[in-house]
Amino acid sequence: MRSEQEVNRAIEQYADTVRRICFVHLKNRADTEDIFQTVFVKYLLYSQPFASAEHERAWIIRVTLNACKDLLKSFFRSRMVPLEELSDRAASADREQREVLQAVLALPEPYRDVIYLHYYEGYTAPEIAGILGKNVNTVYTRLTRARGLLRQALGGEVDA
Amino acid sequence: MREQLQAALGGIHAEPELKAAARAAVARRARRHGLAARPLRLALAAAACVAVILGGQWLYFTPTEHISIDINPSLELGINRFDRVVSVQGWNEDGAALAEEVSVENLPYTQAVQTILASDTVQTLLADDGVVEIGVIGEDDARCARMLAGVQACTDETNAHCYRADPHEVEQAHDCGLSYGKYQAYQELAALDPTVTPEEVQGMTMRQIRDRIAALSGTASPETAAPAASGGAWGSADCEAAQNQETEKGHHGEGHHGGD
Repeated sequence: MRSEQEVNRAIEQYADTVRRICFVHLKNRADTEDIFQTVFVKYLLYSQPFASAEHERAWIIRVTLNACKDLLKSFFRSRMVPLEELSDRAASADREQREVLQAVLALPEPYRDVIYLHYYEGYTAPEIAGILGKNVNTVYTRLTRARGLLRQALGGEVDA
Repeated sequence: MREQLQAALGGIHAEPELKAAARAAVARRARRHGLAARPLRLALAAAACVAVILGGQWLYFTPTEHISIDINPSLELGINRFDRVVSVQGWNEDGAALAEEVSVENLPYTQAVQTILASDTVQTLLADDGVVEIGVIGEDDARCARMLAGVQACTDETNAHCYRADPHEVEQAHDCGLSYGKYQAYQELAALDPTVTPEEVQGMTMRQIRDRIAALSGTASPETAAPAASGGAWGSADCEAAQNQETEKGHHGEGHHGGD
């Protein structure tokens, strides 16, 4: 088990990353809070050392994604949670940003992961394949399709 | 588009309340984990302590050899693997009284033998031409030989008989209610006089038994020729040194007559 100090350092370092993944997948604050607690308690209990900061970051992302997927599998939650996330966010974002966020959230769920990991976190397709446990070609396919959908929604060019 | 996505997603930050809630959950879980682990750790530590204490007690208090001392008082000393006396048992009334008189528990066996031989009771008997027989009883040949040498060094220049005995024969002696030294003398006497009983022998001094054996067999008791012990003869300074000497003497059946 890790020390509380170590976990607090991880919370400071990765809280925004976890929050963005939650934003991409979840629709309300209560779920986000659950995921936060799940991820960092898992970090507390995970006693294996990380080979590098990159390794640690990838571990946090993978655990967060899995936690979100587990939560979304819940029959009750998938039907009963209120759609408050975007409206909260939209209030504090400018029009262009709001449109981008809406376009991302409108993507099918598998595409949101690859778009976020590639365009925001800067991972390559093989790295994303490692994090998601998917075939690299699957990642390439999802990236291509997600770009097409974003282009349709936002217009203009989407960088490769 | 990359910039647009980065700007839009970069505007999302974890709220302080989210971080605080995560910290609180981690602290709760850490405390629960600590509380759950503590009894187990304590139990393991306690079990280890108990094992060490019991193991140490067993090692210390289990006699590995015995020393049988017979004059008339018949005593047996239990000696542990560290050469210390861990039990003192009187095999007759005089022996029980002598066990009360001397305090030899936890002493090195040589010092214990010296103390017993130097006691008033034993000195009185030896001054009255008594005979003392001291047996080392155990299964470890090398260790018994070393102990026998140590005991012999304590009885130099005296009418003492030191010997090594087999633990299985000692059990037979105990079954008769006799210490091993007296049991051996009883067997010798019984061979000459079948009417003699262990109970009868129990109350006799070794001198009386030896004299009776000598009378019945028509030979002079070897100890009769030995000079009576004097107080200064017991417990020589060589005793401790002799304890460390390995010796070829003292194999089963062999003995040493201090007065020879």
